[in-house]
Amino acid sequence: MQQQQQQFLPDGDLAYTVLADLKRVTREYATAATESSCPVVRQQFTQLLNTSLAMQGELFTAMSQQQMYNTASPVIRQEIDKQMKQYQQTQQKTNQFVQQRKSTANPPSPQSYGGWAYQPAPQWQQQNNPQQPHSYM
Amino acid sequence: MNMQPLTAKELEYIADSMSNEDLLIKQCTAAALSCTNLQIQQVLMHQSQVHMQQYQTLLNCLQQHQGIAPTQPSS
Repeated sequence: MQQQQQQFLPDGDLAYTVLADLKRVTREYATAATESSCPVVRQQFTQLLNTSLAMQGELFTAMSQQQMYNTASPVIRQEIDKQMKQYQQTQQKTNQFVQQRKSTANPPSPQSYGGWAYQPAPQWQQQNNPQQPHSYM
Repeated sequence: MNMQPLTAKELEYIADSMSNEDLLIKQCTAAALSCTNLQIQQVLMHQSQVHMQQYQTLLNCLQQHQGIAPTQPSS
């Protein structure tokens, strides 16, 4: 500490101001990319996003190697368990929902169904009623 | 990829991004110079160069679109 004159900010704070801005800029590039209609501009923003993300990661790594960043403490296993169980249930329900909707929906032409073995054949005959409007699905 | 004329939104994002990159160039340079930690200094010095490149990229993007921009507002 003695060779340096009065420092403007501690090293950690200096690095952090840059890191915080990199985080903000990364988000802005992501938004800009999603809001672009010109494919060239979109690709440009995507590339800038990737580079900014890489720089943010690089600075973060350097800061944690220099003990300038204390990472949050890890969660206990039960917390992960809780979330995992809950979201496995959600996933199951959503899968059921999707299957249900798919089987009751106006069935598309049999060719487009491809490998869907779930579609029951009898329903098909009913839907082939000539009075039914043609399905464009 | 076919290039389309810039929309007002895209132009705003490009301009804002250049402001951001400009700030980061200065920030990285100033921070690197007053930083005593060598590893951090090295990273910041390198990154200020990258931000200069990013700034140039954005500027080039504007230039590319200048040619195909309409000269009158369309209804």
